Amino acid sequence: MAVRLLRISKAGLRVTLHSFVAVLGTMWLIGQPGAQPAAAAAVDDDTCLTCHSDSSLSLKTRDGAGVSLHVPEGALAASVHARIRCAECHMTTADVPHPERSFASRRDLTLALDTQCRRCHFANYTKTLDSGHQQAVSRGDRTAPVCVDCHGAHDIRKPSTPRAVISQTCAKCHEGIATTYARSVHGQALTAGNADVPACTDCHHAHDVAGPKQTAWELRTPEMCGSCHANQTLMKKYGLSTNVLSTYLSDFHGKTASLRRNQHTSVTGPVVARCTDCHGVHDIQKASDPQSPVIKANMLKTCRRCHPDAAGNFPAAWLSHYEPSLHKAQFVYAVKLGYAVLIPFMIGGLGLQILLHFWRLMANR
Amino acid sequence: MRYVRFSSLQRFEHFAVMALFAVLAITGFPQKFYDHRWAQTTIGWLGGVDTARWFHRAAGIAFGLLLVAHVLRLVWQLARGTVSLSMVPTRKDFRDAVQTLRYDFGLTDRQARFDRFDYRQKFEYWGLLLGSSIVVGTGLVLLFPILTARVLPGELIPAAYLAHSQEGLMAFLVVIVWHIYNAHLSPDVFPFDTSIFTGTISEERMRHEHPLEFERLRRRADETAKPAA
Repeated sequence: MAVRLLRISKAGLRVTLHSFVAVLGTMWLIGQPGAQPAAAAAVDDDTCLTCHSDSSLSLKTRDGAGVSLHVPEGALAASVHARIRCAECHMTTADVPHPERSFASRRDLTLALDTQCRRCHFANYTKTLDSGHQQAVSRGDRTAPVCVDCHGAHDIRKPSTPRAVISQTCAKCHEGIATTYARSVHGQALTAGNADVPACTDCHHAHDVAGPKQTAWELRTPEMCGSCHANQTLMKKYGLSTNVLSTYLSDFHGKTASLRRNQHTSVTGPVVARCTDCHGVHDIQKASDPQSPVIKANMLKTCRRCHPDAAGNFPAAWLSHYEPSLHKAQFVYAVKLGYAVLIPFMIGGLGLQILLHFWRLMANR
Repeated sequence: MRYVRFSSLQRFEHFAVMALFAVLAITGFPQKFYDHRWAQTTIGWLGGVDTARWFHRAAGIAFGLLLVAHVLRLVWQLARGTVSLSMVPTRKDFRDAVQTLRYDFGLTDRQARFDRFDYRQKFEYWGLLLGSSIVVGTGLVLLFPILTARVLPGELIPAAYLAHSQEGLMAFLVVIVWHIYNAHLSPDVFPFDTSIFTGTISEERMRHEHPLEFERLRRRADETAKPAA
């Protein structure tokens, strides 16, 4: 610590009251177990800009490409990091002049600098370790995104303001899916500025990004859709029923999904129909849209994706998220009502007879 | 002296129903009550919902075959005129039920006197036969939904789904409440009515629980004994 402070003073630190407080704060932070030592009070930005304001400053990577090291003044002004000093992120270059380093390519440089973010954003960094992106990284895919690929470097802004930015960020790589999504009922609303609809990260998550290759995530689909579609206040706004989740869960498909979840045994058999298998994934349309796979005219075709032999009456086996009532599925309602009366009547009656019999036996003694 | 009450075939039938019923309940209820923690635990213990369903279907098919074999035997016996009528409900059974209720309420001190099967046993037998037909029939609908929907309305499938699960629950509760009482907890038989396993019943119980049958057997024994004497 003392050594570091000494080195800082050598670098010509102006000890103002402000930076003195910062140093004290840093010392306190370092003393906290688990706290990330911020590289505060390092070289000040003016020192960096002495060289990096030069627009011709560049670095030659081993593949012969030149990487500009120019940082235009005010590059960070509009970013969330506006008040953070260069050296707080660029720790490895705190010594001026910098020790010489060599990079194979521009991507190599990006990947090397990526470790800087986790000093402050450790929780989000650990989340990325569970992500599908990280799986690509560990397969040796150097194009798999790291922090700056989604967030940017000097111009980092709030990633979800406005929300439509989220989809645009993902679209940089997932262009096809983003186009499909943009045409869906959710995507159209998002583009129109509606904050209620899900953007990519609401289903796939931001840092622990999951996709269809993660079965556990797939089996959580009903919960994902249900987080909005079972929300009464939200659905009321759009005149949508919140029964969709409960009616799905209490049916064969939903029960299977629920029972396959949280099983430590492997998930055997094909994954059963989840919301997205019938309604579509990125291309979800209103259930009343003529293109919707769940509109009556398209139902049989949709069922046949999993039940190729299905014919004629088969789609009617699914009550389309309706609770049986006097108006819908009357036959099922009659059966439901019948048992709701019969079971208590039967068990109550038999129980009463037993109690009576026992009472008489006791009275006899 | 012990009286024979059940043939070895009947004892086998009871044992098979008992064992299959247990398997069906253990593999079935976690599916019905899927959102309870114990259901998840049981399913995990069974090796996943797909394994549980395999056992449920296997036991269900065996149960169905047992039912069909039983009914076919009755039909066969009926055709040959050798069917026993002792399980057929009669007007006397209703009178016995009323009489027993009156006795239990303390309105009379005269207990109903029963023949080979009392009204409770007949109720349980016919209840089982009817209930089994419902669960086996609806079970088949659920096992072959596509085939069902080829010939019958699709709405039959969710109706069968509901009926299968509710009928199963009712059967389970009747067994827990009624059968466990009558075969185990009732002071008449406590702790265990062994007759369905051994096939025989003691003279004392015969006299007490089936007096009409007992007296008829005694009369017949006397009649056959007389000419020999």
